[in-house]
Amino acid sequence: MFEFLRYDGRKRIKGSLYLSVGLAVLAGMIIWIYPSFRDTFDEDELLAAYPQEIIQLFDVQTMTSLEGFLAFELYVFGWVILLGLYFAYSAAGVIADEIDRGRMDSLLAMPVSRRRLLTEKFAALGVPIVIVNLLLPPVVLGGGWLIGESMSVMDVFAVHLLSIPYLFACAGIGLICSVAFDRSAIAQRVALGVTFALFLMQSVLQGTDYEAIGALTPMEYFNPNEILLEGTYDLGNAVILLAMTVLFVVISQFWFVRKDI
Amino acid sequence: MTAIELEGLTKDYGEVLANDGLTFSVDTGEVFGYLGPNGAGKTTTIRMLLGFISPTAGSGRVLGHDIQDERALIEAKRQIGYLSDEPGFDEQATGDEILELHAAVKGDERSDELLELFDPPMDRKIREYSRGNVQKLGLVTTFMHDPELVILDEPTSGLDPLMKQRFAEFLRREKENGVTVFFSSHILSEVRRLCDRVGIIRSGELVTIEPIETLLTRSGKAVRIQSEAPIPLTVLDIDGVHDLETSIPGDVADVDPDSAFTECTFTYTGDINRLLTALSEYELLDLSIEEAPLEDVFLRFYGGENDV
Repeated sequence: MFEFLRYDGRKRIKGSLYLSVGLAVLAGMIIWIYPSFRDTFDEDELLAAYPQEIIQLFDVQTMTSLEGFLAFELYVFGWVILLGLYFAYSAAGVIADEIDRGRMDSLLAMPVSRRRLLTEKFAALGVPIVIVNLLLPPVVLGGGWLIGESMSVMDVFAVHLLSIPYLFACAGIGLICSVAFDRSAIAQRVALGVTFALFLMQSVLQGTDYEAIGALTPMEYFNPNEILLEGTYDLGNAVILLAMTVLFVVISQFWFVRKDI
Repeated sequence: MTAIELEGLTKDYGEVLANDGLTFSVDTGEVFGYLGPNGAGKTTTIRMLLGFISPTAGSGRVLGHDIQDERALIEAKRQIGYLSDEPGFDEQATGDEILELHAAVKGDERSDELLELFDPPMDRKIREYSRGNVQKLGLVTTFMHDPELVILDEPTSGLDPLMKQRFAEFLRREKENGVTVFFSSHILSEVRRLCDRVGIIRSGELVTIEPIETLLTRSGKAVRIQSEAPIPLTVLDIDGVHDLETSIPGDVADVDPDSAFTECTFTYTGDINRLLTALSEYELLDLSIEEAPLEDVFLRFYGGENDV
């Protein structure tokens, strides 16, 4: 059991470290520029300067505290959008890439069910998802300490922990694309498109009559502002995201088992 | 016992009928050559047998397990080695890492011996491998768990002549150890060296299945005759002479090239004694009788196509 998870997981460690370094640099820069923003603008002057559409799109609450600043610049932008897209993209290669490059035959000639192969390869995405979220909280907290801002350690860890089911759900979207399309380039493009469209849908529809549609998107269930500014952790949201992930995996399994490769 | 059984196995892609109602079986311990031109549907059959694509009609069994029952087929795969026509491995991994994964999933009984024999560069990454090296690694992963049945799709493509030779010897030893081999090829000489029986497929349909000896008998002999004095063509007016080509040098005077020859080649499927009797009254410079290339047989019996 778990041979493919181990194999794929090990292969993903190096990339996870590079990804973490990249995100640490992004986090460092955002924290580094925060003091000059804080000292230049009073209250939410800066926020007021942003067009209303952007504020709604990124769900910006406040920029007068490091938490609010990070929630917008790092977590909504970096996690909800960038990492969400990244994992949807990565997952889109999980099956399609193997088929595209003619490797699937060698894998499935081994005594392994398609369901198990797909599930283990998907689970291996947990390696970068977890590594990034383990390595970044100390960077963020350390950065805050360096610029003389204190942040709630609990909240920072919570936002990272609660982003894990969110990122898995995004990966689940990619996984379905990976099974639906044989060519990985197409699977990956569709995964990016769909994930970004879901993000737009959720943020644009907020406050309209169609707000309820947003409830179908993973973005609805991960809210960095709520965690960092109010310190409320909605575990129900995490459960919904996990349920979404399971649903996406089950759909992919169902499809993959019946597919000609 | 039968290792492979096909019952009307069909794959209809709508615009192409890739396999059309194939019915045949491969006995345990047999080396079966699956022969046909490129694009005839050999790979389609193999990929259905391994459950990569599902048949649109008919059924099949490998090692007694239904190919349409995933669980049963997985059980069978523990005892099956498969080499695809273009083996693909993770380009980022080294040969060792690939081998480790295969060993963990299906077991490793004999990779040491196989590595010594085929010798792919195990510490290098697959993306640095040549086509031949990929094929060698493929052979190792195909046989490492000591399978009862091996299914090989064009196994010698990419191998150099030395490796081809080594592979042929290896396969012969495997056969002696009771391994069943099903292998596809579009190269007849390869099949003739290794197979007990041959199935020929063309445009998705099975043309014939014959023991290799029958095919060779049918193939006849390639005959070459050389003489000093012209021999009348009527001498060769006997049953079993095909594709006769004659020549006569220009300096032999007064002989009609349409009625006599000093040199000729033809394929002969008749009784060899009858030919020798007919020639016995003529003084020959040279006579050679050799097995005809299987390519010619194939063309003669199953109609012409150039890529076999």
